[in-house]
This record gives sequence, C-alpha cells and structure tokens, in this order.
Amino acid sequence: MKALIRPGSADKDRYDRSRRIGWIDLSRVANAEVLMVGAGALGNEVAKDLVLSGFRSITVVDMDHVVGSNLSRCLFFSEEDARKQRKKADVVKEGIKRLSEEALPVSHVGRIEDMPKHVFNRHDIVLGCLDNIAARIHVNSHAYVAGKSYVDGGMEGMLGKIMISKPPDGACIQCGMNKTHAKIAGLRFSCTGRDVVFHEPRLAAEITTTSVISAIMVREALKIVSGHPELVLNNSLYYDGRKNIMEELEIPLDPSCPVHGSSDAATGKRKRFKSI
Amino acid sequence: MPVRIKVKNAETGASVEMELEMENTIDEIIESAATFWAKDMGAYVLRKGKKVLRGGNSLKDAGIRADDVLELIPDPEGG
Repeated sequence: MKALIRPGSADKDRYDRSRRIGWIDLSRVANAEVLMVGAGALGNEVAKDLVLSGFRSITVVDMDHVVGSNLSRCLFFSEEDARKQRKKADVVKEGIKRLSEEALPVSHVGRIEDMPKHVFNRHDIVLGCLDNIAARIHVNSHAYVAGKSYVDGGMEGMLGKIMISKPPDGACIQCGMNKTHAKIAGLRFSCTGRDVVFHEPRLAAEITTTSVISAIMVREALKIVSGHPELVLNNSLYYDGRKNIMEELEIPLDPSCPVHGSSDAATGKRKRFKSI
Repeated sequence: MPVRIKVKNAETGASVEMELEMENTIDEIIESAATFWAKDMGAYVLRKGKKVLRGGNSLKDAGIRADDVLELIPDPEGG
C-alpha cells in the first residue's frame, strides 16, 4: 500500500520528531505500564519526561504532601498546593494529564511498602524517584523478583547517580550497597519532612541536577521499553555537576546479595524472569 | 604483611595513605576514610578504576595490591 501524506501532517503529529529517532518504538512506549515510585523533585521531572516521551499509563506512588521548599524544583507543584498541603501523587497525576490528554495516570497516596506485591507484576518497568534506602531496597527486591527492570535515581546537591537493575542478568541495586548504606537505611533524604520520623539534616538540592538525572532515567526507560537492551546503561552512572563529569561504573554481582544471590547459591543456577 | 594504598576523596581531590592487612575489608577502608575526612553521615562507595568495590570483600578478595589508588565517592540518595 502506498503511503498517503498531506501537507503539514508532520507538524500535526505530536510524536513526529520522536519518530525520527529510529530505535524508539512509540507503540511499545504508549502501551507500557510504568510504576513511578516517589513524586518529589525527581518524580516531577521524570513524570514530565515520561509523558512527553509518549508514555501513557503511569502509576504514581507517594505518601507525602507538597511544601514550600519543593517549589524550586517541582514543575507540577504550586504555592496553592503547598498551602493546602495537597498530596504529591495527586498533584503529579493532574500535571501528567495536563501535558497529554492521551495519558492515563493513576495516583496512589501511601507507602510503596504498603501496596500489594502484585503491583510490580502489573507493570512493565519501575522508576525509582525515592529519598530513602529502605524503600529502594523494597522496590529493588520486588521489581527483581517480578522480573521487571528497575531504573533508580538519586541526587544530592550537584551530585547524582542512576542505577539500573535488569533481571535476570547482572547485579541489582542492593549488590552495590555496603555498611554505610545499612547505617542510614532508616533515614529519609528529603527536603520536606514534617511528618518524617527519622530525619536527616535537609539535603542540598537544585533543579539542574534533578533535570539531568531524571532525563537519563527516562531515556534509559525508553531504551528498555523499546527493546534495545544493548543501548542501556550497565549498572550505574555517577554524575558530578560541579565538574560536568559523568562516568559509568560497574557494580559486580554480589553472590551473597539477598535479592538474588540465595537462589543462585542454593540451586547453582539463575532464576529466569520475564523481562521487557 | 601490611600493604600501603592511597585513598582519594572524590569531592575535594585530597588523598590519604592507608596501611592495611590483606584481611581488612572494603567496608573498613570506607569507614576509616569517611571518619578521617569528617564526612557527613551518608552512603559512600569505594571504586577502583571503573569498578565499585563490594563492601564485605577483603583486600585480597577485591584484588587490591600495594600502591593501588582507590577513590571514595558519595552515593547520593536524595529524591
């Protein structure tokens, strides 16, 4: 069948410019079910990039409400949201819908730890925009067991990192942790925190680092969902915005890691998970 | 037999020499270096070249040799 074109049609297609990037599979992107955990600074930017990239089904999970100090980094939050202490997950959901009528966002106000385990099975990919290690460990292990790729972001001041777990192959997020992570696992590295029980001094944070880290997270999600694992970052990427240094570091698989090491050690073989 | 290695502080560029036994662990190096530089409480990792070293590994397990240069880098956890 011959293609039919009309003058100006390229400018009417919302995703025309994305289609020109050959490896992005916009059909798979539009049909992917995304679980985004955390709707703070990273979550705002990740949500924006997801929906503008063509993702539609996005589940947003967060327990917190908006406060004034979020407003320097969070696209979707307003002064009014802070005054009314609106829930971040709900505000981000509304923001996603404003950016695309095609989007089908769902918000869940609460802790990811309190959600049923099958929530991981129902999604195709997980993006972590979290502020504490305990939640990261929870999301990492459940995503891994469900066989779902997990893209995790973290930042402090001008420093940032992205880690990716791609079950059944390679290391997971927990393989890269050591005793310093264990010591602070119960703390939240947040800028809000009135409702935080175990609280750290407020972390330095600013929008440019948030934008860099979130953009890479969503770009890696596009590669994974489009079926191009060969393009996906291996393990981890560290970013230092003061010097504009970005470096990929290998995290070796830890045979004693509780997430996947035990099954390997006990049976001598790897579990096989379905992964997109 | 003790070996001497150098640990660099990725944030400041400073470095410190450490004398260690091959049975010492990566976790112990991280803790000693973080204490020496009075680092804030937080997560840190130690890298050798392009590889993040596993905390529980001994120097021997990690393949660390005399005069190696390791780098202590913050592992940012904020969101």
